[in-house]
Amino acid sequence: MTDRQIPAGDLMAEGVYPPTEEMLNEPVPEEVQKRQKENLRKAWKTPDGWRYWTAVNNSEVGAWYTMTAFVFMLIAGVMALLMRLQLWVPENDLISADMFNQLFTMHGSAMMFLFAVPMFEAISILILPAFLGARDMPFPRLSAYGYWAFLIGGIFVIGSILFSAAPKAGWFMYPPLATIELGIGSDIWLLGLSFIEIASIAAAVELIVGALKCRPPGMRVNVMPLYAWYVLVVGGMILFAFPPLIAGDFLFELERSFDWPFFDHTRGGDPMLWQHLFWIFGHPEVYIIFLPSIAIAAMIVPTVARRPILGYSWIVLSAVGTGFLSFGLWVHHMYTTGLPNISLGFFSAASEAVVIPTGIQLFAFVATLIAGRVKMTLPMLWIAGALAIFTAGGLTGVMVAVAPFDWQVHDTYFIVAHLHYTLFGGMVFPVIAGVYYFFPFFRKKMLSERLGRWAFWLIFTGFNVTFLPMHLTGLLGMPRRVYTYPGGLGIDWLNQISTVGAFVIAAGFAIFAWDIVRPKKDQPQIARNPWGGGTLEWSHEIPETKWGVRSIPHITTRYPLWDQPKLVERMDAGRYYLPDAEEGYRETIVTSVIDARPIQVQRVTGPAYITIMAAAFTGGAFIFPTFHLYTPAIICAAFAVVSIIYWLWTTTARPPEKDMKDVGLGLSLPTYAAGPQAVGWWAVWITMLGDATAFASLVFGVFFYWTSNTAFPPPGAEHASGLFVALATAAFALSWALTRGARSLNRAGRVGLARAALAAAPLLTLSGMGGFILSVLDLDPTSHVYPAMMWALMVWVVAHGIAGTIMQLYCLAGSLFGKLTPRYDADLWNVTLFWHFLGLTALVTGAMIGLVPRMM
Amino acid sequence: MDRDDHDREPQPQPHGDEREFSEERESLWRIAFAPTIWAFHFIISYAAVSVYCFKFGALFDMNTLRFALIAMTALMLAAIAWIGWRAFLRWDVRDTGEFTNPEGSAEDRHQFLGHAGFLLAIVSFIGVVYDTLPLILLGSCR
Repeated sequence: MTDRQIPAGDLMAEGVYPPTEEMLNEPVPEEVQKRQKENLRKAWKTPDGWRYWTAVNNSEVGAWYTMTAFVFMLIAGVMALLMRLQLWVPENDLISADMFNQLFTMHGSAMMFLFAVPMFEAISILILPAFLGARDMPFPRLSAYGYWAFLIGGIFVIGSILFSAAPKAGWFMYPPLATIELGIGSDIWLLGLSFIEIASIAAAVELIVGALKCRPPGMRVNVMPLYAWYVLVVGGMILFAFPPLIAGDFLFELERSFDWPFFDHTRGGDPMLWQHLFWIFGHPEVYIIFLPSIAIAAMIVPTVARRPILGYSWIVLSAVGTGFLSFGLWVHHMYTTGLPNISLGFFSAASEAVVIPTGIQLFAFVATLIAGRVKMTLPMLWIAGALAIFTAGGLTGVMVAVAPFDWQVHDTYFIVAHLHYTLFGGMVFPVIAGVYYFFPFFRKKMLSERLGRWAFWLIFTGFNVTFLPMHLTGLLGMPRRVYTYPGGLGIDWLNQISTVGAFVIAAGFAIFAWDIVRPKKDQPQIARNPWGGGTLEWSHEIPETKWGVRSIPHITTRYPLWDQPKLVERMDAGRYYLPDAEEGYRETIVTSVIDARPIQVQRVTGPAYITIMAAAFTGGAFIFPTFHLYTPAIICAAFAVVSIIYWLWTTTARPPEKDMKDVGLGLSLPTYAAGPQAVGWWAVWITMLGDATAFASLVFGVFFYWTSNTAFPPPGAEHASGLFVALATAAFALSWALTRGARSLNRAGRVGLARAALAAAPLLTLSGMGGFILSVLDLDPTSHVYPAMMWALMVWVVAHGIAGTIMQLYCLAGSLFGKLTPRYDADLWNVTLFWHFLGLTALVTGAMIGLVPRMM
Repeated sequence: MDRDDHDREPQPQPHGDEREFSEERESLWRIAFAPTIWAFHFIISYAAVSVYCFKFGALFDMNTLRFALIAMTALMLAAIAWIGWRAFLRWDVRDTGEFTNPEGSAEDRHQFLGHAGFLLAIVSFIGVVYDTLPLILLGSCR
């Protein structure tokens, strides 16, 4: 029935869509149901014994991820308790100044990088597929890889404090303090957290593709759960916020390891560049933490109000609007750095403007609660606490957004109070609400109502006792990050109150943690939809099944469990899509971005060791350089590449055994996709967008030095060799053209020519890389920031050139071994897309090294 | 459910209303246009003022730069207003009387994107006005 000439990626869905009511009414025979369940159970079985750790299913990875982030939070919380003990009395000598520096640095870094952001990814991996009626995320092994990377990096970073080797320059690592600091603390921070940032970007790619392409048929953008909207916005923010920090880390580590003076003003560098790059990341980060947590509130509020959310479009507006505006705030962390007042004005204005969308979503929640019939459940109690605390934090935020006020309280405990109010109200409370609310979904047990109320009141009271007095402590002039203070300044009693409060919070968390881990074997089976929610996750099956959803429903409303009668019954019977796993593979449906028309059946990957190996080797590549052990690092990097290639080669974009698959309800879908139809292509696109942002940050660096430095490039400076730059750029451009050409030739069936192009292209790439290296070889990167910046651009493009070469060879090998054919060419589409970005990167690099400095 | 029958896929060409609301004519990017203008306004204002203050402060008067940027603001506000108006028409609240569009139909999705785009245009407009205030109120780099 399929034309053999059509590339498999161009095949269309065939048959009936959407399903008619008669089709949905037709019962599924009992024996068919039984057989289907058996097949699904086999395909989605979680491995037993110690093989359990090879699982990649979102329900397993999400649970590990959540628990790991929670444990890191508890450890960071203990660090806070130690600091509060030290501050209990003036002139205390419980903890040395050095250890105190390590404690506050690690407390901030761990809470941000090891708890808040990973927690968003963890919770999303755990529940997003259920919101979308999907079997799993589109790239389960990528989630698993991200998790193992996070675990390894997290233990490395947080463990350093046990050896008193932890970073101690503050969570923002300002140079010159952090660059000249002896010891390996700063390197641990830079390399360990870069590694985790990469895991975060991997999760963002996964989540964006999940929200855009793995929604159930019919779930158009105007009916998708608000949580999915937030995931989209936050994923997009991660792509634009994390890369500047990665670029900053890259420069910073080059300075620490090789003495390239990016932040050393005696050689033309400027510590302010770090501050800009850090806070271009750091401020959106606050919203990256806040938005997904408030998204949990957006799921809980309608359930407790027992009515649809009021102002769905308004909440979408506020999520998207906050996402944008949050990028215009970063300098409000830098008000005291001496920038022109008029520049501060822009950031002050944007900081006040972001209050509008942020406020709108809170008002939408309050309006929903007013309009509904509220049942004060435990999750709602936490949400109510969140709203109260966050509003207080928001009000002090409006105050500190005003530059002259900030000058008074900058770096005092007032700021500590403000940020903890926003983060507890904006993140901790809503996340705990989410844990209580979703616990019956992901553990099929209930948490204790009584313990939950105890935990709430202890944490809520303790929080206010700790942080409310800090406003005053700060206004009275106590600076942050100072290990002790003299007595008699009127701040002794305030510090004592804060310390008492901190232990009350800790007691609350102890109860909460106990409630989560205590054995619940005796608990009777819970109700399937204990809170009476209307969204798809409450169609989950009890007792637990591992297949996600029994069949993937056709969704036409925002609250399908409330508004689509018989939905759950039909899902259970396997009446909807993909009720079976005949071939024994894990599969889910891929749909179109706007209207969620079904377009493809996506095979998703199953349990594997390779992801753990890939993460371990990647970890080695990042961890060994901390100790200046470069040879083992390079070996690890090579093994990481080999592991990833093995993983991709054996399981992704393999030609399927048949082109079309009957997914039920009279619909047949292609089993293979290439180009913009394929989830893999989207993942490459999104990843490269992040990569391009990091590169743009480096280019920004060049212009930044030009504006901040009276002599950049310094007069009479030696420039890169124009000839080599021109040749290198041309070689990259040609390699790019050959890659693109190979795609067309291969599609046209001219496989020989395509292979020739794919064989010639890597040679050109290598010569291009050589050209860029030779062009800057005569410059001394340690002498001045100008040659250092040229070297940094060269390193960037060469590193990408290596990846580009490997990809070209991967496609060549694919073509030679029958993985890549004229009909099945997804790999070549993805590699071409990568090369579009690499080609542009090389052109811009050529201009930045060869042309621009000569004109400055 | 019945509204959904409008754009049955993958069927032969739909016509009339269905075609007007077809997925191919829609783009998620469109709701981001107005905030993107805000972003450009923000970046251009900040970059221009920084470069002026650090590099060209001695060459020409700051007022020239301020007026140029305020003129740019006027153009960008006009563009946002136009985007907002187009989005308002797509929301189509005056004809349908529907303020919310919660149904799983092509028409509701179309109007919802109009509504979201309209609201984002308003926020972006306010954001641009806010970010222009420093240019109006402050006249020097210090």
